[in-house]
Amino acid sequence: MKPSLSIVFFTVSSGAGLGLLALIALVDVWPSRLLPSPAVARGIGLALGLIVAGLASSALHLARPSNAWRAFARFRSSWLSREAVFAAALIVVGLIYLALAIAAVEDALRVSVAVIACALSWTVLVCTAMIYASLKAIRQWHTHWTPLNYLLLAHWSGSVLLLGLARLFASDAAPFAWLAGGIGLTALLAKIGYWWAMNDASGLTLERAIGVREGVRPPGMTVAQARLLDVGHSHRTFLTDEFGFSLARRHATLWRVVAIALGFGLPAMWVVAPAGNGGLMFAAGLFCIMGLLAERWLFFAEARHTVRLYHGDAKT
Amino acid sequence: MTPDGSGKPLWRVIKVKLGLVIDLDTCVGCHACAVACKEWNDGSPVSRPLSDYQPFGAEPSGVWFNRVRHYEVGDYPASKTINFPMSCMHCADADCVTVCPTGASYKREDGIVLVDQDKCMGCNLCAWACPYGARELDRSSGTMKKCTLCVDRINDERLPEEERQPACVLACPTHARFFGDFDDPDSQVSRLTAERGGFGLLPELGFAPVNRYLPPREPKPLTGLEDARSLLERGLASLASPLIRR
Repeated sequence: MKPSLSIVFFTVSSGAGLGLLALIALVDVWPSRLLPSPAVARGIGLALGLIVAGLASSALHLARPSNAWRAFARFRSSWLSREAVFAAALIVVGLIYLALAIAAVEDALRVSVAVIACALSWTVLVCTAMIYASLKAIRQWHTHWTPLNYLLLAHWSGSVLLLGLARLFASDAAPFAWLAGGIGLTALLAKIGYWWAMNDASGLTLERAIGVREGVRPPGMTVAQARLLDVGHSHRTFLTDEFGFSLARRHATLWRVVAIALGFGLPAMWVVAPAGNGGLMFAAGLFCIMGLLAERWLFFAEARHTVRLYHGDAKT
Repeated sequence: MTPDGSGKPLWRVIKVKLGLVIDLDTCVGCHACAVACKEWNDGSPVSRPLSDYQPFGAEPSGVWFNRVRHYEVGDYPASKTINFPMSCMHCADADCVTVCPTGASYKREDGIVLVDQDKCMGCNLCAWACPYGARELDRSSGTMKKCTLCVDRINDERLPEEERQPACVLACPTHARFFGDFDDPDSQVSRLTAERGGFGLLPELGFAPVNRYLPPREPKPLTGLEDARSLLERGLASLASPLIRR
């Protein structure tokens, strides 16, 4: 798949914002006050900023954005439509939550709004992941690893930003470091698990795609290898533009190293480092997001759409 | 949404299932179907135009609903060339319709999958969902376009009845394409599919594609070959001998 930069940025930026918002809401409803209200308000503001920036970027992907408002129409069948509906609801709830935190309201209303914001964040994350996981035509996406990765990576980047806030504002940042460390390790394992699972050879083949088993083969043979003789078009088409993108194996390895080093390595050093380096705080968050941009770019670049078989690929 | 109010998915209650049969035995890969498709649909009100990019430039390209590819199956000399036209399969369980967030993509009661050009926002998700590459985004209009099964031909009562067929079917010089209702067991497409072992592409993906492909026939062993050969040789000899003598 062609890595569409607007969507890569959207999923990473909104993901970090949604993870941060969910974690902040959880911390906020925790019985003992872990984070003072001004810090919670800043966190909500940052989260909403990341979410809105991501949503704005996703609109750039549309070839006819003037019809974007229609995306709310197919809530009952389309994960993209569900994502749009829940994201719009989340922005409204998030703004209410932000107002309550700025006003430092400490009552049941704030708790309920925080719970709703957390639930909506998770819902939007699941919807985003399911847009990809529901596509049976793309083997590398149509797997349980996809929603698992999206949820964990969003919470990992969110927890790094949350730890930054905690180091600046909380009296004791240690629980936040443990939280980030635990999520980060799980997320890294899940991402490696995804890459490991994608190495299997169970994809569809060109022979399967054109029906060699059903009889499309030379007379008297039962099995035969197929190859493309001529693709039928002389220059690039929508299909080759959208699905023809290929990544050399050694480049894929390089991207994975970059994704892990920037996305996990550098932020992890900062997670285990002692408190006090506030200046580096957002650098770690920035590195994490840059690493996840590489990871998400790879998620697209390594996905092999089924139509590639008809363009001559031996397998998906 | 469902005509009988049963709450079942639309495709389970519809009683017409229009689609194409493509005979891989007789298709010669001439691309006439693809060109006729382009020609008809470029002027059709359903989804026109089928934009071209650099039509007279160095790298001409554009939107096509039907593309013909060519494969070699088996290794020479035991190999066979397969010409393989592909257009929308009008799947019974079309994921392109399921994933569409705007409602632009829809399935008619006769089984035809269409895109409402006024509603599409060009998000590409339906093209990602389609394993057959049936959908192409038109960069000029910013909307998704796809085979309409010539919905504006097959229902046009001003046309003589034999012409109420998709342009690709009418254009095919080897009669390798057939159009009809797969829900009717007596239709030509249903009978051809049954007689010739017609199959749908990649049924394991679960979209229940409607179009059927007929595999190449097993060649019949030739009888009287020796007679034919000696006849041919004698004929050639009598033709060639005056020339050779001279």
